[in-house]
Amino acid sequence: MAETATSLETMQLTIERKIQIGFAIAVFIIVAVGAAALRSTAATVESAGWVAHTLEVRAELEATFADLIGAETAVRGYVITGDTTYLTPYDSARVQLGGLLAELRALIADNPEQLKRLDSLATLVSVRLERSHWTVDTRRTGGSSAAARAVIGGRGKELMQQIRGMVRQMEDEEGRLLAQRSAALQSKARLARLAAWGGALIAVTLAVIASALISRELAGRRRAEQALGETQTRFRQVVASSTAVIYANTVSGATFSPSWVSENVTRITGYGPDEPLQPTWWLDNLHPDDRERVLAEMPALLANDHLTIEYRFRYKDGTYHWVHDEARLLRSAAGTPVEVFGSWVDITDRRRAEETLQVSEEQFRTLAVTANDAIISADSRGDITYFNPGAERIFGYAPEEVTGKPLTVLMPERFRDAHRAGLARYLATREARVVGKTVELAGRKKDGTEFPLELSLASWRHGPEVAFTAIIRDITERKRGEDTLRRHTAQLEAANAELDAFAYSVSHDLRAPLRGIDGFSQALLEDYADRLDGTGKDYLARVRSGSQRMAMLIDDLLNLSRVTRSQMHLAAVDLSALARGIAVDLQKRDPERRAEFNIAPGLQVQADPGLMRVALQNLLDNAWKFTGKRPTARIEVGSATHDGRPAYFVRDNGAGFDMTYAHKLFGAFQRLHGAEEFDGTGVGLATVQRVIHRHGGRVWAEAAVDGGATFYFTL
Amino acid sequence: MDDKVILLVEDNADDEALTLRALKKNNIKNDVVVAHDGVEALDYLHGAGASAGRPPRAMPQLVLLDLKLPRVDGLEVLRRLRGDPRTRLLPVVILTSSKEERDLVSSYSLGANSYVRKPVDFAEFTEAIRQLGLYWLILNEPPPNKAP
Repeated sequence: MAETATSLETMQLTIERKIQIGFAIAVFIIVAVGAAALRSTAATVESAGWVAHTLEVRAELEATFADLIGAETAVRGYVITGDTTYLTPYDSARVQLGGLLAELRALIADNPEQLKRLDSLATLVSVRLERSHWTVDTRRTGGSSAAARAVIGGRGKELMQQIRGMVRQMEDEEGRLLAQRSAALQSKARLARLAAWGGALIAVTLAVIASALISRELAGRRRAEQALGETQTRFRQVVASSTAVIYANTVSGATFSPSWVSENVTRITGYGPDEPLQPTWWLDNLHPDDRERVLAEMPALLANDHLTIEYRFRYKDGTYHWVHDEARLLRSAAGTPVEVFGSWVDITDRRRAEETLQVSEEQFRTLAVTANDAIISADSRGDITYFNPGAERIFGYAPEEVTGKPLTVLMPERFRDAHRAGLARYLATREARVVGKTVELAGRKKDGTEFPLELSLASWRHGPEVAFTAIIRDITERKRGEDTLRRHTAQLEAANAELDAFAYSVSHDLRAPLRGIDGFSQALLEDYADRLDGTGKDYLARVRSGSQRMAMLIDDLLNLSRVTRSQMHLAAVDLSALARGIAVDLQKRDPERRAEFNIAPGLQVQADPGLMRVALQNLLDNAWKFTGKRPTARIEVGSATHDGRPAYFVRDNGAGFDMTYAHKLFGAFQRLHGAEEFDGTGVGLATVQRVIHRHGGRVWAEAAVDGGATFYFTL
Repeated sequence: MDDKVILLVEDNADDEALTLRALKKNNIKNDVVVAHDGVEALDYLHGAGASAGRPPRAMPQLVLLDLKLPRVDGLEVLRRLRGDPRTRLLPVVILTSSKEERDLVSSYSLGANSYVRKPVDFAEFTEAIRQLGLYWLILNEPPPNKAP
């Protein structure tokens, strides 16, 4: 990544350098073209100067020559006429020629050839002027003929010819120089044009290239900016939808000031986007119990450049959440801490899960350690991985003796093959014959003794592997107990069967003789009445009464036995309705008796309806019986709370009994009253007690002699 | 009148005598045939054994059946009677000492028409016999002789 950035930088530099170079070239060319143009202009100006110079030289030459011609003409005029006025041009020429020649000299000072020619010309001019002077003198002194001769004889014409030739030479020279300079100027101008066009062309080309490069660069930048913008948008969205809050702090010295926080802070913590930027926001909401620890950790950030820490933090709604805070320190090139970047994740759920897991593990450990049963885990090879203290006690091995060993060490020899086959089958097919069930097997202790055990086996996934956990209980004692129980049960069943047969037999056979006794006694009384006296008849009446009482006893005994033997079927029983029904029957039985029944409504119990009827019938029969001597019997059925449980009672205002004998009350055939006073078999309350006991309840009585009795029962 | 035979199935001689006495006292003059155990009762009704060859018209009007009997007990007799088309509809009154629930249930399940427990008190016994006679011999319409 860093490498790519570097090469990218290099490439960008290259492009910039290219553009710079291009511009440098363009500027150079423009300067060169300008210089060429300037030079060309300067040359043109110079050459124009030279033209003017040439023309000036020519004009000077022409003027010199004209003066000379004027002087000669003046001399000739004088010679011919002798008039001195003609000499004026000659005199001015003599004056002027010196100046003209000096001017010429100055003009052509740069050209030694011309100077030589000028020297010659000057000599020729001075010679000519000498000659003219002589001619004038000759005229003055010699007259016109002498002068004419002098003119004709003199070499005036020849001299003029020479001067003219010299002037022409000089003019030609100037002309040649002009031509030469013009030609040079022309070629320079052509070059300058060429340079200007060429330079312009190159400059334009470079400009086009540079512009192309720049626009390409700009397009690249635009694309990069767009991409950057998209990246930034995406980053913002990612951060916004993330569960991690991203933040930045500026660091100065050891002070951290919040500078930026991702927008999702509001969604996650409920705080407004500006609140987290308050300097004390973080510290204010840090859980007081975590503050000290967290602050103690802070210097580590400066020391290690990063810090991972978990603490509780208060959200806007006031609830504390566990957060995982990961901070990273950024340093300047000089190594000074500059900024802290961090991410901040709510891990409350994870913490909770961890805690739950911890509790669960703790529970398991406690359970496994304290369990009386052996708890043994094994891996998919059947090798022991865990062996609890219970297992130590039961098998006699220490955990380190069996850990890693196959489970078969805990089995008698004859089960081992079956175990291996079962394990292989389970792993291959997942067909469980023992897994998920409780089976009875035999185990082998360290000392080799065998014992019966109960095994509950569960399988669970341990990564990709299957693991097993067995809970094993030594059932030696239970087996023994079961055997005893089975024996006792069998005995009990036999006894019950006997009792049943006995009761059945009693029901049929014991009554038949009584019927005979009663029937034939009656037959005697009817058929032989005339032969019996009063005493005989009374005896027979007693025989009948005895047999009938015997029949009653048998019936009561059978009822009692039936109460014991019958199957219980619990259902909702309305005691109030049941009592009302019995009360109506009692009143019908003795319509002449005055009785007040007060039966509380809505007494609902869960009980066997048949047995409950027997019990209530007996209790109300008793109440009815023992109130027989009251002018008005008052019998109450209701409920009361006894030891926090509902108790039901039947209360009467009858004869009551002495509480001294209360313990005899519920025994079979126990009677607290003589048969003369109140008849009865003494089985009724025994039956009631049997019914209540079968319901898991208790029955008791409170009474006083002649003060009525109350029978309570719970269910 | 003599086609209205009562079959009394009773092994106890005392009970037999008392029942006959009670019938007599109530002026029930029907012929009473006594079978002393289940086998005798079945022989009589199904015309086998000692009763072989007896014309089928002598089917009793009423069977008074004790439950506890030697050889074949009352419930078995009842089952066989109900299993045979000739006696399937025959009125059978269980007359016995017991009122054990299982006896009641078995008897009614096997198709007994009535179940009467013999009271020990002879006066009550006589009254029971009177009502039985009145009901089954006079009030009650017997099933048609020929089985459908």
